[in-house]
Amino acid sequence: MTTLDHTEPDVVPITEMAIEPVHLERIAQTKLVGESSLQTQVSADRRAETNAIAATVLAYQKLGFELVPCELSAPDGWKPRKNPDGTMIDEWGRILSHDTKCRTWVPTGSIFTDSEDFERFPLADPDAPGRMFAIEEMRRRIGDEMALGGFIRDPFACAWEMFKINDFVRWLYEKPSFLQRVIENVTDFNVEIIKQIVDAKADLILSGGDYAEKKGPLVPPKFFKDVVFPNLRRQVEVAHRAGLKFIKHSDGNLNPILDDLADIVDGLHSLDPSAGMDIGDVKRRYGDKLVLIGNVSVDNLCRKTKKEIIEETKGCLHKAAPGGGYILSSSNSWYTDAKLENCLAMVDAGRKYGRYPIGIRD
Amino acid sequence: MSNPLGEIERAFRDVSGLDQMRRYTEMALDEKIQPSEIIASMRKGLSAAGTKYEQGEYFLSELVMSGIMARELSEMLKPYLRRDESQSLVRIVIGTVKGDLHDIGKNLVLTMLSSAGFEVQDLGVDVSPEKFVEIVKREKPRVVAMSCLLTVAMDAMKNVMDRLTESGFRSEVKVLVGGRPITSDFAEQIGADGYGADAIEAASVAKGVLTR
Repeated sequence: MTTLDHTEPDVVPITEMAIEPVHLERIAQTKLVGESSLQTQVSADRRAETNAIAATVLAYQKLGFELVPCELSAPDGWKPRKNPDGTMIDEWGRILSHDTKCRTWVPTGSIFTDSEDFERFPLADPDAPGRMFAIEEMRRRIGDEMALGGFIRDPFACAWEMFKINDFVRWLYEKPSFLQRVIENVTDFNVEIIKQIVDAKADLILSGGDYAEKKGPLVPPKFFKDVVFPNLRRQVEVAHRAGLKFIKHSDGNLNPILDDLADIVDGLHSLDPSAGMDIGDVKRRYGDKLVLIGNVSVDNLCRKTKKEIIEETKGCLHKAAPGGGYILSSSNSWYTDAKLENCLAMVDAGRKYGRYPIGIRD
Repeated sequence: MSNPLGEIERAFRDVSGLDQMRRYTEMALDEKIQPSEIIASMRKGLSAAGTKYEQGEYFLSELVMSGIMARELSEMLKPYLRRDESQSLVRIVIGTVKGDLHDIGKNLVLTMLSSAGFEVQDLGVDVSPEKFVEIVKREKPRVVAMSCLLTVAMDAMKNVMDRLTESGFRSEVKVLVGGRPITSDFAEQIGADGYGADAIEAASVAKGVLTR
């Protein structure tokens, strides 16, 4: 937790926002059961969830990580609607398809074809019992050994996925106030969830969902200023009132909205190098305000050699670690197609060269 | 008196939304302006919007909206196109390769190719090599375009190339590849004919490979 206060700890903390099942099983030497998704809840099968939490804790302990993220749970007894084509529908109306290679469910469609559909759709109830099952179970298992990050889904990203890109964009032009209301509704949900995450004794809030793509923000910065950021601020304020830091994840090139973002959140995860995010530059500009989490390239974890990954990790440490406020991780998560030996090389290099004061050699 | 062609170009350049585009397209059609001239104005506007996106003045939503406008305009013009005009388009099939369910990039490329005057058939996501070969055999497109977001799906692109070669259809089509992890080196390595770094580039790359 020292590093979150921009103070140098003994060593640079290390984490991953997610480790996909194939790697998690190899590291934890266990078999996962049940359905999973990195973006939403797909089951309220508590046995499967407990199994996944146990595997995650074991893997993160073996890796010596200092921070473990944990998703919300679906409410007790909830079941997704299954479609005849093998897809399912989550609580937010997103149609999910099963990625057989990664063994996770990913949003690929939407049940909403018109804004009227959304008006008739029952909004998820934050107070439905059971949503803190996983976070409470994780806290119980890790004790004070690791920091615990409670994961929420960003309202803008949620709306973007709920309506799919074409409808979202069309309504951005034709029904901006409708989109604003949806984002406010999801924010209302998140505000209540953050309070529960606080009660479940998480240490910080992690907000998933992208704001940007390779070239820049997904929508003009004005929409962020007028709609997205006031709602982001509402969530951050609830976390801050309880003394929790708020970390925002986003892939893509955030530079055009980084000034505003740095005034709202406490940290950024990803710092996507494939989109031109330079962790050294962000550190120079916002290092006093933002905790940085990243950014060993996920593409490089798939393609490059161990030696190259070690060099890249040293580069991240050199640029972002001095002064604290830095957590080493990949620029997203350990994908199925990442070479596990590269992921482990990143961790080893982090341990070897991430000891304060940072004085990287060889 | 307004100039509908200039206004159509402006609507696309400024990404002013469907209403503006519809109003001036209807005006142009009322004035018996040839569909080919309307399309030319649209392309000029689209190209200007694409440049603004490349330069960071526009964002993804503007690029997507210009694509939505282009598709709507194409629909409006369909009844006015001569049979030979609508049948002489170069056909491209496009899909996200096996193992990858992402479609945003693929859909953007589809829109840009359509706007550039190609007839584009969308094969969807998670498209197997067998499906690509079957479509090439049956539909005889001039170009196959493959997209992926996940690194894990890059092998699938190579598989499509191998299957096209094995089945004897490789020489029948030009192959384009693109997507977040794809590089020009990778495209060359698997023997693709062209690589587009983004959706804007896709149309010019497609035209380029067809003239080779």
